[in-house]
This record gives sequence, structure tokens and C-alpha cells, in this order.
Amino acid sequence: MEKDKTFTSEGNGISQAWNPILGMGIQDSELNRNCFFNPNCEDQRDLFESALSSIVSSPVSSHPGIPIPGSADCIVLRELIGRLGSICNSSEISPHNSCYNTPLNSPPNLNLSITDHQIQGNYHPIPPAPFPTDPGFVERAARFSNFGGKNESFKAAGLGDSMEEPSVSETGTKEKSTNRRKRKVVPKGKGKETQSSTTISAKDDKVVAEVEKGESDAKRSKSNEKSTEPPKDYIHVRARRGQATDSHSLAERVRREKISERMKFLQDLVPGCNKVTGKAVMLDEIINYVQSLQRQVEFLSMKLATVNPRMDVNMEALLSKDMFRPLVSLPNNVSPFDASVQPFPYGLQSQINGMIPDGPENQISMNPLMAAMHRNSITKPPHIDGFGEASTLWENDLQSVVKMAIGQDQPQGFHGQMKVEL
Amino acid sequence: MSPPQQPSSTNPNSLKIRLTHRFLHNLNNLNKKRSNLDNTQIHRRSHRVKLAAYASMARVVGSRRAWSRAILWKIRNRKVFTRNKRVDHKTTHHHHLARSIKRRTTNHSNHKREYVDPNGNSGQEVKLRKLVPGVETMDACGLLDETADYIKCLATQVEVMRNLVDLYSTI
Repeated sequence: MEKDKTFTSEGNGISQAWNPILGMGIQDSELNRNCFFNPNCEDQRDLFESALSSIVSSPVSSHPGIPIPGSADCIVLRELIGRLGSICNSSEISPHNSCYNTPLNSPPNLNLSITDHQIQGNYHPIPPAPFPTDPGFVERAARFSNFGGKNESFKAAGLGDSMEEPSVSETGTKEKSTNRRKRKVVPKGKGKETQSSTTISAKDDKVVAEVEKGESDAKRSKSNEKSTEPPKDYIHVRARRGQATDSHSLAERVRREKISERMKFLQDLVPGCNKVTGKAVMLDEIINYVQSLQRQVEFLSMKLATVNPRMDVNMEALLSKDMFRPLVSLPNNVSPFDASVQPFPYGLQSQINGMIPDGPENQISMNPLMAAMHRNSITKPPHIDGFGEASTLWENDLQSVVKMAIGQDQPQGFHGQMKVEL
Repeated sequence: MSPPQQPSSTNPNSLKIRLTHRFLHNLNNLNKKRSNLDNTQIHRRSHRVKLAAYASMARVVGSRRAWSRAILWKIRNRKVFTRNKRVDHKTTHHHHLARSIKRRTTNHSNHKREYVDPNGNSGQEVKLRKLVPGVETMDACGLLDETADYIKCLATQVEVMRNLVDLYSTI
């Protein structure tokens, strides 16, 4: 493209690094971009050179913390970012020169002002809404940033620049995936960078890396900055800052993370464990819950054994009634004998009273189960005898159950015995 | 009958439906099999219902989980044991029992261990291993996995049984 020719004729390393960006900008926008790019190219290059040299001159240790060496560099950086942003936000820039000459005063995108604020170190709660509107910018910037190698500076910068909202933590997991996407894109960017000189590329990386950090810090939540490793591939675990890097501790850490992840899942399963932190207490709660569930199964099986009508009930009818039933919430620690044994005999009694005086024909209106039973009883007369047997059976059961309710230690006895058997 | 859902047990409604089916099926089999209507004590019948509950739980989950495999294995061996006991009242049932136990030495070898395993497990993990069937030799990670699945199925089973009891009691 013509712009490439003009730049390469100058033979400037910086311009070579900028070529791809400009090239991409050209692909998107109209031709008038070329028009107002050329008159400014001189200013651009000088500014770039001064900016990059200033950044390189300041030591790397200044990067942790707010990456702003001084106010002059700050302005230069801002202009750089402004230019970068304005180049890449091709679709929204008006064809007039004014927008381009003063990128800071009239930023074409909300992005820009936010990046300015970030670089200045002002603390603004950044709504994550503007950022998804310009992922292309971040992607392009990512292509030229040595993302993998710059993790240290990112983290340090992120630590000092705590712009992340705690509420964005759930988007943090989303951003992890986008970060993974960016990492995949990096090798392509590295290929393009081999043209430029190594030092210039390093400088460029830092510049664009800062921009990248500035852009995506608000996206990245605190959880992301702590763990930069892609969680999907457990082999490629990156050592975090300030932690041992030998294989044993890495594997140990992976194992511990797996366990904590499962503990979190268990916390959701066991009701009432949201506030509990710590593995030991959580395990106690889990053990109690499993024990209580098993006790409930035993108790309910006992209830079922007594209530079960011992006749061929239509399963569909049962299920249709069952599905309409509202979900019963399980109590965490159940003392089932106290709660439900008392009403239990009453239920049976009313049941039996209902059964015996009412003829089978009165029970149609009650529920589909009864309708099914009624149908069975009409079609097959022997089943009516079954009804009578059932009622006597229930009377027997009722008496036994009442006996059990009175003598509560007795069920406890075989309750323990039953547990041992299984 | 409702159409069978996909085999993933993560959908709670499908799990509940399948559990209900299977449990009712087992209950009906239970009722048809033995003629112990009037005379058997409550606890024997309730024990059978409990076995049916666990069996239905394990059958629905299938062989995917260690705990379900352990339950199915125990039930199968119990059946073999009782069948052999009925056939021959002599000492052969001892043999069968020993053989069935020997087949799963891993499960029973840890019974007399103290509270701290050689791996350095705390007492709680050992307790958990005793509660959840089939996790005796698993590592902590797998243990938590199995526990989570076991809790989910147990909770669903309890719900199904509670609904059934309500259904039967409000007949």
C-alpha cells in the first residue's frame, strides 16, 4: 500500500512496527485516512521516538506500580494511545482532520477517555459496557504485545492499579477465555514482529503492552490477575509470583486447586453452607448431611413399608399425581421421629375411615390414582376383595405403627441395626 | 411412560423421573415377590424397602460411579448369599460369603484402620469414606467427586420417597 511505501522509504524501525496497525487501519477505513495521515507522519514519528526512548530509559522496575514515569511521558503516552485508538477505531472517525489532530480532546470513542484516565491513574469505576464494544482494538493490540512474557509486568501493574471491580469477578471467568484467545493470537503477532529490530520491538511491546493492560485491566478481575494460567490444560501451569516453581509444588498446587474447586461445588450441594469456609468445617457439614440423608432414607422406607397398599397401582396415575406435587425442601438436620410420627397415625385413621364407609364409586373425584384403582376394581371384581384386605391390613399396620410411635426407643434400636447391615 | 432422558445425571428433573420409575418398579417387584403381607414385622419390610431404594438409586446411575457399582455389587452378593443360604443350610454359605468378600478385598481391608491413614488423611475423610460406599481406595479428589454425586442422588431419592409417602398417605 502507498502508506507502507512512504514509511519504508524512510527506513524507520518504528514505522515498520506501526505498519501492520496502519495497514489494518487502512483496510477498514476509507481513502481519506491516507490523506490526513501523511501530513502528520513527521510529527508522529518524532513523538513516537521520544515516547519510546523515554519509556525505555526509565528502568523496568518502574513498571510495577503506576507505570507513569512523569507527566511529560504521560502526555506522550496519552498521545500514543490516542493515535492508536483513533487509528483502530476506523469506522467511527469522521473524515475531518480535526478529529485526528486532537485525538485527546475529542476522542472518537469512550474507550479513549477511559484509557487516558487509566494511564493517569485516576480511579474511576469503569463500567464494563464500553469495552465489549471495541474488542477489535484490544485484539489488534494484543497481536503485537508479547503477552506471554509480559505477565509479570501485567500482574505488578494490575496489583498497583486496582481498577477492577469486585463485581466483575463473574466476568473474570469470561475474560479468562478471552485471554486464552489472545494468547493463541500472539504467535501470529510475533511472526510479524520479526521484521523490526529487536530493541524497537521490545519498546513497542512495552508501549502496546501498557495500552493493552490499560484496556483490559478493567476487564480482568482480581481473580484473573492472581492466576494467569489457563485452567483448561493442567500440564501448562505457570508459576505465580512469589511461589516455588519446582514440579512437586506445582503438581501439589494443581491438586489443591482441584480439591478446592470440588469443595466449592459441594458447598452448593449441601444446603446452608455458604458462609462456611475452611476444609475441616466443610467436611464436617458434608458428613452430617450425608448421615442425615441416609437416616431419612431409612425412616422413609419404614414409612413406605407401612403405608404401601400392596396392590397393583397404576404407575402412570401415581406419577402424574407425583409430578404435580410441589417440591419438598429437605431439612438439614432431621429428627424425623418427633416431627412426623405424630400426624402419621392420624393420616392413616382418616384414610381408613374414608375407605370403609365410602363405596368405590365415591372416590373417582379424589385423584387420578383413585380413579385408576376404581377402574381396576370395576373391571376385575376380585380386586374389591383386595380393597377389603387392604383396609384390614392397614388397620393392622396402624396398630403396629401406633405402638411404634409410643415406644420410640424401639425404632431407634432397629434403626441402628439396619444401618450396620448395609 | 415418560421418554427416557439423556444419560447425564446432571439434570435433576430427569434424575428424579428416572428414580421414581425405577423405585416404583422395584417396589412392585418387592410386593409381588414375597407373600409377607401380614405377618412380617415392620422392620423387615422396611429394610427391604430401603434396599429397594438404594438399588434403584444405583441402577439409575448405572456403572458410571464408584458408589453405584459398590452398591450393586453388595446387593448382588447379598442375593447370592441368601439364595445359597436357602438352598443349602450347611457350611457352604460360609464359603460363599468368604469368596464374595475375598473378591473385594480392597473394600474390607481398611475396616480396622485407625483414624489416621498412611496417607495422612484426617479422621473426617475416613468417616466420609465409611459413609459413601465404594470410595475406600480413592484419592481425596475422587472422593469429593463421588460424595457430590452421592449426595445429589440421595437427596433426589429422599425427595421421591417423601412424595410417595405423601401420595400413599393421602389416598
